[in-house]
Amino acid sequence: MMQGELFKKPIVKPAPSQYPASIEKYEVIIERSKCSMCGKCAEVCPTCIGASAIDIEAYQKPDGYLRVAVPKISCTGISCQRCVHECPDDALSVKLSPQYIALGDARWTAELIMSTWEQAEAGRVSKKYEYRVGDSGGGFDKLRFDFELDDKEICDDDPSNNEDRDTSIVLNKRNDGRPEIRIPIPVYSADMSYGSISLNVMLARAKAAEAWNTFTSTGEGGYPDELIKYKDHVITQVATGHFGVNAETIKRAKIIVLKYAQGAKPGLGGHLLADKVTPDVAKIREVVPYISLFSPFPFHNVYSVEDHYRHVQLMEDVNPQALISVKVSTPVDVDMVAIGSYYAGTHILQIDGGYGGTGAAPDIAKKNIAMPIEYAIPIVHNYLVREGVRDQITIMASGGLRTAFDVAKAIALGADGAVIGTAELVAIGCKRCENCERGKGCPSGIATTDPALRYFIDVDWGSQRIINLYSSWKRQWSHILEKLGLDNIRKLRPNDEVKFKKGRFNHMVHLDHLK
Amino acid sequence: MTTMNRNTCSPLVSDKHPVTTGANSSIRENVEEGGCGVLGIASSIPIQGRYLLQPLIQMHNRGNGKGGGIAAVGLSAKQLGVSERVLEEDYIMQVAYIDPKSRVEVESQFINSNLNVELAEKTATIENHRSIGLEVKPPEVWRYFVRAKEDKLRQFIEKNGYEGLKPETAEDEFIYRNSFALNKKYYASLGDKKAFVTSHGKNIIVFKIVGYAEQVLHYYQLEDLESHIWIGHQRYPTKGKIWHPGGSHPFIGLHDALVHNGDFANYHSITEYLRQRNISPLFLTDTEVAALYWDLLTRTYEYPLEYAIEAIAPTTERDFAMLPEDKKKIYKAIQATHIHCSPDGPWFFIIARNNPYRREFQLIGITDTSMLRPQVFSLQEGEAKIGFIASEKQAIDTMVQNLAKDDSRFYPMNDLYWYARGGSYTDGGAFVFTIDESKNLLCTDKFGKPISATNHQQHCKRISSHDMPRFPSIDEKLKDRPRGVDLFAYTAKNIEGWSFGEVCSFAETMREYAGKSDEEKSVVVETLTLLIDRRYDTGRKRRSDIVSLFEEKLFDVFNSTSSTESDTNGKYRLIKFEEKNRLKGPAHSNQTLVMDVSEFPPEGGEGTCQLLERACKLGWKNFVAYNFRGQRNFGAGLIARDRVRIDVYGRVGDCLAAFADGPEFYVHESAQDSVAYCFRSGKLVIFGDAGKAFEYGAKGGVTFILGDLIDRPLINSVGSATAVVNGSCKDYMGESCMAARGFTILNGVAFDDHGKMVEQETPYPGGNLFPLAAASAVYLRDPRETVGEDQLNGGKINTISKEDWEKILPLLKENEKLFGIGVEDLLKVDGVMRRPECVYRKVVPVEIAALTKYESGI
Repeated sequence: MMQGELFKKPIVKPAPSQYPASIEKYEVIIERSKCSMCGKCAEVCPTCIGASAIDIEAYQKPDGYLRVAVPKISCTGISCQRCVHECPDDALSVKLSPQYIALGDARWTAELIMSTWEQAEAGRVSKKYEYRVGDSGGGFDKLRFDFELDDKEICDDDPSNNEDRDTSIVLNKRNDGRPEIRIPIPVYSADMSYGSISLNVMLARAKAAEAWNTFTSTGEGGYPDELIKYKDHVITQVATGHFGVNAETIKRAKIIVLKYAQGAKPGLGGHLLADKVTPDVAKIREVVPYISLFSPFPFHNVYSVEDHYRHVQLMEDVNPQALISVKVSTPVDVDMVAIGSYYAGTHILQIDGGYGGTGAAPDIAKKNIAMPIEYAIPIVHNYLVREGVRDQITIMASGGLRTAFDVAKAIALGADGAVIGTAELVAIGCKRCENCERGKGCPSGIATTDPALRYFIDVDWGSQRIINLYSSWKRQWSHILEKLGLDNIRKLRPNDEVKFKKGRFNHMVHLDHLK
Repeated sequence: MTTMNRNTCSPLVSDKHPVTTGANSSIRENVEEGGCGVLGIASSIPIQGRYLLQPLIQMHNRGNGKGGGIAAVGLSAKQLGVSERVLEEDYIMQVAYIDPKSRVEVESQFINSNLNVELAEKTATIENHRSIGLEVKPPEVWRYFVRAKEDKLRQFIEKNGYEGLKPETAEDEFIYRNSFALNKKYYASLGDKKAFVTSHGKNIIVFKIVGYAEQVLHYYQLEDLESHIWIGHQRYPTKGKIWHPGGSHPFIGLHDALVHNGDFANYHSITEYLRQRNISPLFLTDTEVAALYWDLLTRTYEYPLEYAIEAIAPTTERDFAMLPEDKKKIYKAIQATHIHCSPDGPWFFIIARNNPYRREFQLIGITDTSMLRPQVFSLQEGEAKIGFIASEKQAIDTMVQNLAKDDSRFYPMNDLYWYARGGSYTDGGAFVFTIDESKNLLCTDKFGKPISATNHQQHCKRISSHDMPRFPSIDEKLKDRPRGVDLFAYTAKNIEGWSFGEVCSFAETMREYAGKSDEEKSVVVETLTLLIDRRYDTGRKRRSDIVSLFEEKLFDVFNSTSSTESDTNGKYRLIKFEEKNRLKGPAHSNQTLVMDVSEFPPEGGEGTCQLLERACKLGWKNFVAYNFRGQRNFGAGLIARDRVRIDVYGRVGDCLAAFADGPEFYVHESAQDSVAYCFRSGKLVIFGDAGKAFEYGAKGGVTFILGDLIDRPLINSVGSATAVVNGSCKDYMGESCMAARGFTILNGVAFDDHGKMVEQETPYPGGNLFPLAAASAVYLRDPRETVGEDQLNGGKINTISKEDWEKILPLLKENEKLFGIGVEDLLKVDGVMRRPECVYRKVVPVEIAALTKYESGI
């Protein structure tokens, strides 16, 4: 996509799940001993019209339970229960399916996962699944926009109701002669290394980033040649291990991110466990296969702020046109880090909070440190406002931002945009089983470099899933802006300091403070 | 070892209490960062402040102009307008009035009331601060030569029960507390700061501002001020829109001043520790607590220097185990008491102090135990003796060159350059330059071991061209039109017997000869380069004088190259900063672009990196880049895989050849930090030492180093990264190395004053050799088995096999061609040739059992 060309939104194309069977939220259970097989349930079921609801073969199975679950037409659930009421034999009951109960956790609830799948498939949300908040009991889940409290019916899925608003943000606000780089949606795709995820997943994400004229990142594991055709949309990451980082990969990128730390494992460098270091991974990193790879925590040539300045200046000398992004976690003095980076010449500061993911870390390190992102954002924003430099640097928040609403809340708290990791992987089928760090352990073929499993994700299909997801998110952002009476998403971000007063701040309320 | 007098010590400590209660000491306040550039000089003859200007300017990018300061110890009574006696006995109290209107009140309360004022004057300044680019007007500084008023002092002693103290100790404390009270009242407790004491010791003055350090010199007109010891600091604070001069460095104790590069994480814990001893900081920076802690250790506790250093930078781990038993005992006791006050994090201190009662001045550099900040020490011993400490070598070299230009008692290159190994049993991570009563300068390490360049050699004064003798044998030699290597060989063999006058004559002849044509010029360039690079016996003449002379002549030869803008097809074309945008491609592929980089900025769009990149794109393949003054990033990111050769001369700065891919670099000098960072392919030859984090993340290529590595080389190196190092490496070598197709050779040799190769004590004195490595190997030349497995972390030491020797021999042969270090000589132990497996040993990684267990799910 050339600069100056008018950006055309990518088209949503249906991208159904690759699995023949889908995970359903509800199931109807027929007690075989009571059922007279009259077929009344199939008659009255609003979703089953025209299709047989009763699968006689399944009915004859030894466990006696029958699922009324015809693929693509799923049970409406507890709010309906017509079949239950109409059954003369009182043989039916509607329950949450076991898969649904097992799926997800408090942050990524089953609702959010299934909603993400739905959005990835169809590019829009339906009323079927909760698509805005999870159930973590804190963080973004306790924040609501003002209008959410008023509306009973929230976002509908009628496209004529949504204007398409300006959701673009500018990445270079320093006016320093380097390209301005405006992206049409306030997100780009997070750093995931080749090694933590498969090549096909990287390609799917890159293709989606190209379609949306935004970016994805190489992560720490090097820049596979296959990614070069997307180079205008791929950020080169320079992390402490410098795997696969060389003059070519730095010069070809429009943005370079210096990863000083990662929210999921602050104080630690990458730790790619041995079974994920396949020969392909080893080749691109120029290391020995099947030996664990440790990246140091600090850059060994950056131990002080003037070293950081030297580091940023070095990258700018190697690629004078690139924007420099600095990725840090969220320690207590994250504001000091922010201002130091600004003076060092950074264009983008990516603050990565504790809910972030990682495909390359041992269990005990994951997510057990670092400040939650919802605290870190206003701290950094307010500090930079006080310093008078807020409008010269772009703040991107990352670390477990799951939904369009999370992103909008992050912006309302003071970020310019967000970097999205896990949500993209969920879009292409991740079930959040949290087995990412073991090479053959990803059952979805995502966080794997296993030579067979990697083909599970088809690149075109995967990219369409992500494209659809962002389409749906853009509609939601437009909806939010419409409700708040704002022209564009940049106005959602506060200009002054964010102040938390009686549970309210900048278009939002905190549920705990509502009386 | 002095016996600490408990009786005198504890009253001093406990009695600080009344003064310090209520001091504004909220430890929740944000602490400013101390990333910076530091410089210190100690000279047996006084030097003028102007010589600090250039080195401080060249360290601009270590600061951001939000803080700078200077301290001077060992001043001239005449210049200050007092008698020698007053300079020796009076305290020089300098008060910075941020609000000049507060002066009357301050003087009445804290100066005239308590002190006898011998002389009071406003220090000179230039008229308009904006004329030198300062945004914030520096404070008005008044200088008072004072002694405590007798009656006030007597009261003070009586009230506190200090009769047991020596009278000067009591008076010192009196002055100290007086200043503290002034600072508390007029600075710390106020929103709008009014005044503070910058210094109050004997024969020491401190100035500091919101600005760059060299602006301090300009604003307060210190260029002509002479002093034996100077320290300077460029600060890089990041917090706050309003910066106060009180937050700049140096910070003072009593007769000392401290500057600091780095910042430590345990500011709060140090503050708590100090508070338990009734000391409270006022200026809210970590550097201040370091100065307060130093003052506590040296002035209140009167620890000998070695123990004070141990208390600040404790010896731990393997280094502790290597100490002699008696030291272990006392260090253990010191650590038990003080370790929680030891600053934790990257730091490097330079302290300038007067020990008035021992009649000596000292300049001290102390580095943290993990060597996280850069530091260079240097010494010149000629007619004058001068010691240097700085964050970057290029700053030292600039200063000494400028001194030598103006004063023939100084020589343009120092005799020794070295680096401290933090918290070590080898040097203690600290070096001290002491100027005694007779103004003799002595350098020692933490343990008191002297460092000296004094040997059978002498410094030689340059001879002007009139006085230069003719050198007929050279003229004869040149008639044969020799090759460069032959001329070099001839010179190296005979120079021992030449007088310095003859050497000067030779150098001048070379310069003239180069002017004849391109062919002669090539020969001269080659000859002089070899004479700068190689080691040979220079007889009774110091090598540094010879090398600096040859380098100067070589630069003259380069300077007389015709510019790229002229039309001829000659071999060399010169480009300077003014013309850089007009650079065109070469006329033929053998042309050499000669780049005079002296006027280039340190980095950025107008810098040397961009010029080199552009020149390569235009087709240039041969480069000479000379007259570096610390410029950084030269060759960074250069992808040039088709026989590009770059020769580098001068004081090249950090990040040389970072990310380079393909070129051959020949660096005719020591290199600084982050060199060959992520070097991908090509060749790098350094005719000197290499600094910190050498080849960090390197992927391939081959590097050859004549001298030593400091610390942290080859971390996370992968692929085929290979290095041949003739010197030693101090610590943290090759962490997480995975270069299965590469290896490192560490020879651990050096050169004596006769240019002969000698063994260093060990190729590797530190702990942390090859930790967490997964592949590759380090070949140590270690026939005496000085390196033990206790220095490893997940590795083991093996003998080398025949295959190993066959693998490394070709590189050792190349090493011989480059540096003249013979493979045979390397294999000689005590003069006897040994088999390779008796001389070299191999460090290899082993699987780390704990991790393997984890990964298999146990």
